[in-house]
Amino acid sequence: MAGPLASQREGEMIGSKGIIQKVEFVRIIAEALYSLGFEKTGAQLEEESGIPLHSSNVNLFMQQILDGNWDESVITLRKIGLLDETIVKLASFAILEQKFLELLDREKIKDALKTLRTEIAPLCINKERVHELSMCILFPSQHLLLEFPHQDVGRTKSRPKLLEEIQKLLPPMVMIPERRLEHLVEQALNLQVGSCVFHNSLDREMSLLTDHWCGREQVPSQTLQVLQEHYDEVWFLQFSHNGKYLASSSSDRSTIIWEVSWNGRVSLKHRLHGHQKPVSYVSWSPHDDQLLTCGVEEVVRRWDVSSGHCLCIYVKGGLGLVSCAWSPDGKWVFTGIADESICMWDLDGKQLQCWKGQRTVRNSDLEVTSDGKHIVTKCKEAAVLLLDREEKTEKLIEEIQTINSFSLSRDNKFLLVNLLNQEIHLWNIEGDPKLIAKYKGHKCSRFFIRSCFGGLQQSFIASGSEDSQVYIWHKDSGELVKALPGHAGAVNCVSWNPANPHMLASASDDRTIRIWGLKNQLDSKQEKAQSNGIHYCNGGT
Amino acid sequence: MGRVFLITLEGNVYSCKHCQTHLAVAEDIMSKLFHCKHGKAYLFDKVENVTVGEKEDRIMMTGLHTVVDIFCVRCGSIVGWKYEAAKEKGQKYKEGKYILERFKILGPDGSNCSVR
Repeated sequence: MAGPLASQREGEMIGSKGIIQKVEFVRIIAEALYSLGFEKTGAQLEEESGIPLHSSNVNLFMQQILDGNWDESVITLRKIGLLDETIVKLASFAILEQKFLELLDREKIKDALKTLRTEIAPLCINKERVHELSMCILFPSQHLLLEFPHQDVGRTKSRPKLLEEIQKLLPPMVMIPERRLEHLVEQALNLQVGSCVFHNSLDREMSLLTDHWCGREQVPSQTLQVLQEHYDEVWFLQFSHNGKYLASSSSDRSTIIWEVSWNGRVSLKHRLHGHQKPVSYVSWSPHDDQLLTCGVEEVVRRWDVSSGHCLCIYVKGGLGLVSCAWSPDGKWVFTGIADESICMWDLDGKQLQCWKGQRTVRNSDLEVTSDGKHIVTKCKEAAVLLLDREEKTEKLIEEIQTINSFSLSRDNKFLLVNLLNQEIHLWNIEGDPKLIAKYKGHKCSRFFIRSCFGGLQQSFIASGSEDSQVYIWHKDSGELVKALPGHAGAVNCVSWNPANPHMLASASDDRTIRIWGLKNQLDSKQEKAQSNGIHYCNGGT
Repeated sequence: MGRVFLITLEGNVYSCKHCQTHLAVAEDIMSKLFHCKHGKAYLFDKVENVTVGEKEDRIMMTGLHTVVDIFCVRCGSIVGWKYEAAKEKGQKYKEGKYILERFKILGPDGSNCSVR
């Protein structure tokens, strides 16, 4: 059925809020149809609605550009209304520049020169460009080599590309921007993701048919496995960078390397014995082929992951080592020493460099930024130092309360700091350090309790707690998303699988490690894992 | 019972009698003239490596105070208390300060104090 005349439609609004102009809406749908290649349908829509996508002059203009009728197109350009003189000049320049370059391509030097002198130059704009173009005549071979800032090196741009550029110059009312509808839909999807608080699913699962919304069920909340291989409290654990392994260390003086299978099941791969003291920290090498373990004020050992053999022991005569970290190229090892210095070692155990004089404290962690430039450590009880290895600069993150532990984000932009006053602070450490968020609810006043980033785009913060629960907050809003009960003792450390946004591991004084996942991942066979039949009291033997 | 978080102190350190955990430094002593059930007690400006108990109102020789008992974070033995609030104006200077009982701690030279 033929619709009423376009003039009657002027000012008509649609949509529940009445903010969408019907004419614009139909025009962008028509543009979308043409973009998708549905010429007939596009034309049909224009006819049926009585709303043309473009005025007849614009249509003529577009065709002339594509056909290369430069002079005619410049004339048509002037016939299109709603254009001020500057735009007309800029567009004319672009068209004539194309004409010039195409003439050069066809080696019509005289004609090109004429165009430049009599048509382009009189526009009196963009004089620098005019000079660049005249260089092309003088050095024709240079035309292919000169890098023009606006187009691909040496090649005359295609006509559709020219049309796209002109379309950007003209007001959108005159020529609808290409793919405008796609752009609006993408914007809406991005906004949905942006306001999706618990966003933890992969973007390719998004649909246009329903608003995207990750419920809390996208955050791990169910115990999938309880790993009971340590003989004493589990103090630390961490997934490898590729998410295929998990390393856990215990006050039973051993470290265990676990393997994460394709279906998410975790199984024991190696037990690493050798330390004479409880193992407080592990560090995966950049390629996950080696592991560093640190005994409390003892030695640091380097292990081969596939064989489980100890490759090297780092000893500093008479002094205990308190922390360890890899350089991002995997060639050097950094350790903190009980005398408050930091040492750098080669892989064979030889000490290469030492930063002395209260660089670290005995209860501090040690991390190295992934660009290898900064060593991150606590230099005082309430301050974290970003030490430039060449000692040219130092950045200090200062807190008022004692810092318990800290964690560096994968992109080196954020530092998560656990404080002894039971708060976790998030600092932005790009440029001048800025405190940007605080997370509360967990218990931390006596033990080393660790937290970590996790989830897709690291949008969650997880932490252990002395009340035996795992706490998960939404990073941006600071809202507590989950407090997960299950462990029978303080949860000392948590690690979120970097390769699986739905897998979280926790280490506890109850001698177990729990693997947490989504509710629907639990099948009836695994229900036994939920009840923790083992009960070890804090302080019990 | 977890990996206990301990702060190491420098200088003349007073530590827990049972487990030698550092508690305070001599520089932070504000007064050595306090007393408790077990004998002498010192008032400290700052104390580390302790956890606190429940708030209690106690009537002491100097009047009514709100205090919390403090415990060594490693072995859990009681080492003194902290003043949270004092009723009388003249006693307000104690607020936020700590008492360590001399009998419960080792001095910088490792000495202990016997019960009177």
